[in-house]
Amino acid sequence: MSFVLGIDIGSAQSKGVILGDQGSLGSFECASGGDFKLTAEKIREELLSQAERSVDDISRTVATGYGSKLVIFADEIKSDIVCLAKGVSSLLPSVRTAIDIGDLYTKVLRTDGHGNVHSFILSGKCAGGSGRILQVIARVLQVKVDEIGELSLKSKKRVEFNTGCAVFAETEAISRLSQEVAKEDLLAGLHRALAAQINSLAERLGVEQDVAMVGGGARDIGLIRAVKEIRGHDILVPPNPHMIAALGAALIARESLTIQD
Amino acid sequence: MGDKQSTISDIVKNYYHNYGLRAKELKGEGKQFIGYACSLVPLEIITASGCIPFRVRGSVHEPITRGDTLLETIVCPYYRSIFDLSVKGKYDFLSGMVIPHGCDSMVRSFSAWSYGLPFSYFHFVNIPSVCDESSFEFFDSELGAFKKSLEKFTGKAITEEHLRQAIRVHNENRDKVRALYELRKTDPPLISGTELTMTLTAGSSLPIEESNDLFDQVLTGVKGRKNSPLKKGPRIFIDGACLDNIELIKLVEELGGNVVADTICNGARDHLPKTDVGGDSIEALSRRYLGKVNCPKTYRANKAGTFEGDIANRFGDIGTYAREFKADGAILYVYKYCDPFGFEVPARKAYYQSLNLPLLHLEDIYSAGTMGQLRTRVQAFLEMIG
Repeated sequence: MSFVLGIDIGSAQSKGVILGDQGSLGSFECASGGDFKLTAEKIREELLSQAERSVDDISRTVATGYGSKLVIFADEIKSDIVCLAKGVSSLLPSVRTAIDIGDLYTKVLRTDGHGNVHSFILSGKCAGGSGRILQVIARVLQVKVDEIGELSLKSKKRVEFNTGCAVFAETEAISRLSQEVAKEDLLAGLHRALAAQINSLAERLGVEQDVAMVGGGARDIGLIRAVKEIRGHDILVPPNPHMIAALGAALIARESLTIQD
Repeated sequence: MGDKQSTISDIVKNYYHNYGLRAKELKGEGKQFIGYACSLVPLEIITASGCIPFRVRGSVHEPITRGDTLLETIVCPYYRSIFDLSVKGKYDFLSGMVIPHGCDSMVRSFSAWSYGLPFSYFHFVNIPSVCDESSFEFFDSELGAFKKSLEKFTGKAITEEHLRQAIRVHNENRDKVRALYELRKTDPPLISGTELTMTLTAGSSLPIEESNDLFDQVLTGVKGRKNSPLKKGPRIFIDGACLDNIELIKLVEELGGNVVADTICNGARDHLPKTDVGGDSIEALSRRYLGKVNCPKTYRANKAGTFEGDIANRFGDIGTYAREFKADGAILYVYKYCDPFGFEVPARKAYYQSLNLPLLHLEDIYSAGTMGQLRTRVQAFLEMIG
């Protein structure tokens, strides 16, 4: 029996997955906080305790994500693009285009269903078009970020949002609230604006179906619906979409064990 | 590497990091340096006048603090950085500055240079935006005017013999750069992209004869190497405007890629096309700078009649280099607000697709602070093609 870890240190949230020979034995998510090294340690401890294992039982650890360099106990660092492709292909092999909604960037990649990446594109350097805007708006509306999806679905009269910029969106949201726009209509408008940005990024790369959405932003059903509407076709969402990069990292760790054997 | 090689590498590093060091020394001896910041300035005419051409650089490590009071931020960040360093006095040893119509930022900011800086000589080279026979006729006479303005500045006539001699020594320099590029053909390359860019950058701050000597020393040193400084890895082609710092190339090489060829201004675009010899010197220079230097700033009419034929004509040099240097992938590196490259991105992407060469398109703001964000993209790209 061998055990491997995949650890994804994102700019907002950090995730980890532990795999045994038969599949996943546990997963864990926490805020990345200000000390990525400490966060990585915390995730490892939590995963080991879930699987009732010790550090010595772990054969290999692969780290990914924005803070991957600070996972000092990792055997290898892999880019999140490659890990996402691996993770999504393992759960949804029919997927050819994956859209990852992260905190800092939105990423779109094309894969062959076996985890190989053909091409990819990232959103610009600012957080426009990324999941950050969802956190900003949740704070403005004083709702929890995981509630905004449901709320958005209740909208009957979507407002037109003019910006994709996370900073301007906050200003625009406040100005709409002063016009007594309902929270759900505001959220639906924001989801629509974000979906349009995500779509144009995907179109710049070229889209082949099936399409999946992953990353923390894919937990927002309001956003998923908005992207579906704009694209006019179904979007697959794997269970625990935020864990996909960590899962991919763990799968890569396991693969390199097999090769070494 | 032997002791000699490490000494040469120290010389290159010193000129690279203390950019303008030699120019300051020579100014003390009465030499006059003329600044330029674009591949489209005919350096041979400056050399023929007895002055020394000096490529001004920006700094990705230094925030723009004064330049923006005189130039709007619509100007590309690379050019703003050069301007900022200039107004802060970094290039006060220069006697003059020559700016060509290399992009909208250059043409529009010429007046800001001429009233913002203390140099005694300024000249604007009006290089045509198209490439027809009439453009060459125009450019011949424009280069004649450039020659005259330098004659007036120095008080000395520039003869045909001066021009021929300058063309000869600049062509020698290009032969040496070609020889340095040849050393990248092995796998892994015998010289790293980081070393080569540092060497060429150092050379652009020296009198052409000293640049020739420096390149000779580097050539001898690198040819004597038993091992490459790099490991085998994906062979990367860099496409873009001026990359006058090593940050991106170093990043690619740190992540396991090998930079083997380029179109960048302070690389192939400046250094590889040669000037024809034997005919009228001004005409030959006009042919080189307008016809042979392939910059997106120049509109080349679609003679093929199809999109595929057009992109093959416009970007054929990329395909030639990519095949010759056996590139596995390319990075198209474009500065924000770079008008010549910005407009060309979709056509260039289509051309790379026609070559079946994987491409990573990066847009950047000319700041070392963005290297973390570029790292994510470059790492994923190298893993994808590796």
